[in-house]
Amino acid sequence: MEFITLAFRFATYSLALLFAALLLILGLQMVGVLKKVPFSYNIRNLFVRWRITLMTALAFTLVVALMTVMLAFVNGMYKLTASSGVPGNVIVLADGATDELFSNLGFGDIKQLEFHPEIVKQDGKPLISWELYVVVNQPILVRKCPKCGELVRVNRFGEKLLEHGEPSCPGSDLPITGTRGRRFIQVRGLEDPVISAAVHNLDLYEGGEWFSPACVAPLPGGRSGQFAVQAVIGEGLARELGPDQGKKSLEVGDVFDLGPNRWIVTGILRSAGSTFDSEVWTKFQMAGELFGKNTYTTCVMRTEGPEQAAALAKDLKENFKSPAVNATPEPEYYASLNSTNEQFLGAILIVVAIMAIGGVFGIMNTMFAAIAQRTKDIGVLRILGFAPWQILVSFFLEAVLLAFLGGLLGCALGLLANGWTASSIIASGPGGGKSVVLKLVVDGPILLSGMVFSLVMGCLGGLLPALSAMRLKPLDAVR
Amino acid sequence: MSNLDAWILWYLDSPWRVIGAAVALLVFLLLVVYRDDWFFYARLMLKSLRRNLVRTALTSIATFVLVLVVTMVWTVLYVLDRVTAEKSQDLKAIVTERWQIPSQMPFSYAQPLSEGAAKETNDVRPSDSMTWTFVGGTLDPAKRTRENIVFFFAMDPAKLMRAERDERGNLIRTKTGKIVFNTMMDDLDQLSDSEIDLLDQACREMEKDRRKVVIGKERLAQMNKKVGERFTLHCINYPFIELEMEIIGEFPDGRYNQSALMHRDYILDAMDAWKRKNGRPHPMAEKCLNLVWLRVPDREAFRRVAEQIEESPDFKSPAVKCETASSGIAAFLDAYRDLLWGMRYLLVPAILVTMSLVIANAISISVRERRTEMAVLKVLGYRPGQVLILVLGEALLLGVAAGLASAAASILFINTYLGGIKFPIAFFPAFFIPLDALWWGPALGALTAFVGSILPAWSARQVKVAEVFSKIS
Repeated sequence: MEFITLAFRFATYSLALLFAALLLILGLQMVGVLKKVPFSYNIRNLFVRWRITLMTALAFTLVVALMTVMLAFVNGMYKLTASSGVPGNVIVLADGATDELFSNLGFGDIKQLEFHPEIVKQDGKPLISWELYVVVNQPILVRKCPKCGELVRVNRFGEKLLEHGEPSCPGSDLPITGTRGRRFIQVRGLEDPVISAAVHNLDLYEGGEWFSPACVAPLPGGRSGQFAVQAVIGEGLARELGPDQGKKSLEVGDVFDLGPNRWIVTGILRSAGSTFDSEVWTKFQMAGELFGKNTYTTCVMRTEGPEQAAALAKDLKENFKSPAVNATPEPEYYASLNSTNEQFLGAILIVVAIMAIGGVFGIMNTMFAAIAQRTKDIGVLRILGFAPWQILVSFFLEAVLLAFLGGLLGCALGLLANGWTASSIIASGPGGGKSVVLKLVVDGPILLSGMVFSLVMGCLGGLLPALSAMRLKPLDAVR
Repeated sequence: MSNLDAWILWYLDSPWRVIGAAVALLVFLLLVVYRDDWFFYARLMLKSLRRNLVRTALTSIATFVLVLVVTMVWTVLYVLDRVTAEKSQDLKAIVTERWQIPSQMPFSYAQPLSEGAAKETNDVRPSDSMTWTFVGGTLDPAKRTRENIVFFFAMDPAKLMRAERDERGNLIRTKTGKIVFNTMMDDLDQLSDSEIDLLDQACREMEKDRRKVVIGKERLAQMNKKVGERFTLHCINYPFIELEMEIIGEFPDGRYNQSALMHRDYILDAMDAWKRKNGRPHPMAEKCLNLVWLRVPDREAFRRVAEQIEESPDFKSPAVKCETASSGIAAFLDAYRDLLWGMRYLLVPAILVTMSLVIANAISISVRERRTEMAVLKVLGYRPGQVLILVLGEALLLGVAAGLASAAASILFINTYLGGIKFPIAFFPAFFIPLDALWWGPALGALTAFVGSILPAWSARQVKVAEVFSKIS
């Protein structure tokens, strides 16, 4: 369904572009330019020399498709950070901390924050979320056996599959290469999950429920007295952990290993498109006890709106000294995590620019060859009365048309990447950052930049050959 | 791994061996195919390329530029592959907190972990070790910008560089003239003699005066500081602590361009002073050991040391883990796995196909223009295979030359002028193009030229003399 919507969107953009091109042609015709240009001759030539046309257009297609996919990745990261912050929220970290990972709100009387008059209340309770954010190592203890296809445990160094199967599978003791030994999982300990969810505008999928105040439940299939820690997990993380258990995604009631304990899923967060998508939410005390951190790292407060949030952040920064804190409106905080995105974007633009140079020389080559092959044709056109500028315009338009077709195909190919999920890190600087699962987003501006990029390549690559065609002397050309 | 695999890997390890083999093979093929007058044919190829200089130049530039992109992308992948490849000998292991990121262990762990938790006489002990404490701070607490925030590795300076010197302070050299030195840091063995000398002197100075620090060249430039200047570091992750520092040296260009290093005892002393002043331990007192590096001779020794550490009751709160350095780095890179996959399996192949298309275009146009010439060659007695090799040879010559030029230019320009490829991934400040690019470039050029020109060359091979001359007549 999503693909159909996108295909429709692409068709709309393409039609808009075609319409614009048509308007341009009509406009040119109205002022009498195209009438005087042998443009139909150039179009026929594209069909006659279809192999060369196809190969050149294909080169454009690949370059534009690559650019579209790369930009879609960065766009996805930007969309993720933009949709993670709630406009009326203020995020409070320890003074000097720019990342939750390095924040420690354990000094002084931090709980005084709850009494700030700007905080919105819900059922008489202030909408303030007290959080402990930690990143935890999770060893990946199972792999799919390439021989029998079963999920099998690996040895402690992640080097080989353990003995399995009855009789013993030939995959037993098979060395493991090129696969991951562990992953990092972000755990958020919360005082009150209902309040926190309200602050972050999140809720659970049907069938799920928040962890209980005790935050433990009997371990399914375990011995009497064996307990699992209760947790709510982001839907992106559920998809990430699912394959460890041979499932597409973890569901409510599933058990997974994290840290020294077993955890049971009580709910799946409706968190797609936000940084919370890759997180485990559990009770603050439980997270603190298990991972040895007994202070809050983060406090998120809800105000009436963006203006109040900005005012509250300013007030806390300037006047709250018990202890001093770093308060920022949430959208601003997530925007600061775009530092990685900006660096990626810079790297991508460099790669794209270099590829564009290659593309320009490629089309220049084709057009020079096309002109060399059609020297006699150009001579005849000149003898028929076409002026040098008309020859220039006709060959220039031929190059632009090639670029347009290639670009259009490239955008269509790039559009296939829309909605792909990818993992990455967003951070505000060196160290820290959040592991995120993002969706590649191919939108209008990206498709438009793809087309503009392709047309610019076509213009630059077509100009010199067109100039050389213009300068041909009619008699020399037909000789 | 079979002996043959091992031999192939060893052979491919050196670009010069691969280039040598490729050149030898090319010469051999030329000698075999044109055994009587191969020089004549090579000259013919060059003449053909010279005939249309615009086309040759444009195709070469397009190939040059696209090889440059592939070289840049492969450099990133190559470096990451190299650092995450498991070694079998002279391994480095990392000990960190078992569950939490960032790892924060009490400093009391440092000594026993440095000995690999060895207690019994038959326990395995690492051959060397090093501890790291990360100290982040700002030069201006009122205005924290990227430029004035610095992250220091606090460590024992002797583990950074320790060159052996005689009584008069002269460097001791081996019989082959190499300086005798020891370092636990990667890639410092590639420094020049004068750089080793300077770094060793700086480390000795740091041991005498703990306020002295060494900072990477690029970082210094960003901080707008110079060697000899002093500043106050207002610690971010060690609240309430301020450290007076004096810059006594800079890391040479390369991997440590963005790094900064200080004496580990300086931060420990500062926390002790804070405790004396406030009557209670500093909040970070029990969390100030971030990493312990161990050097072990082989995998068996690593396994033993890892077992000793992970099973020791001394390291339970917090628990620790021991892994090879390559495995630890691979875990950090895991977050970028999709990005790296895209670079490896989408970006590079698409660029290679684009290169092939550009070359295919140029060669097929060239073949079409020269059908009469091919027919004449056939009339003169040239076999179809020879015509095919003539066209292929032209493309290969162009591809190899453009690829080699691109690789050489990228090494010169990117490594020396730009200071490496600044790609923001994990903790790598910059990626330097390896010398291996000198064989990637020509190989890529040759491969894409071959793929791009095989069809046009085949069509040249099949030129029918009668058809061509009937059209002319």
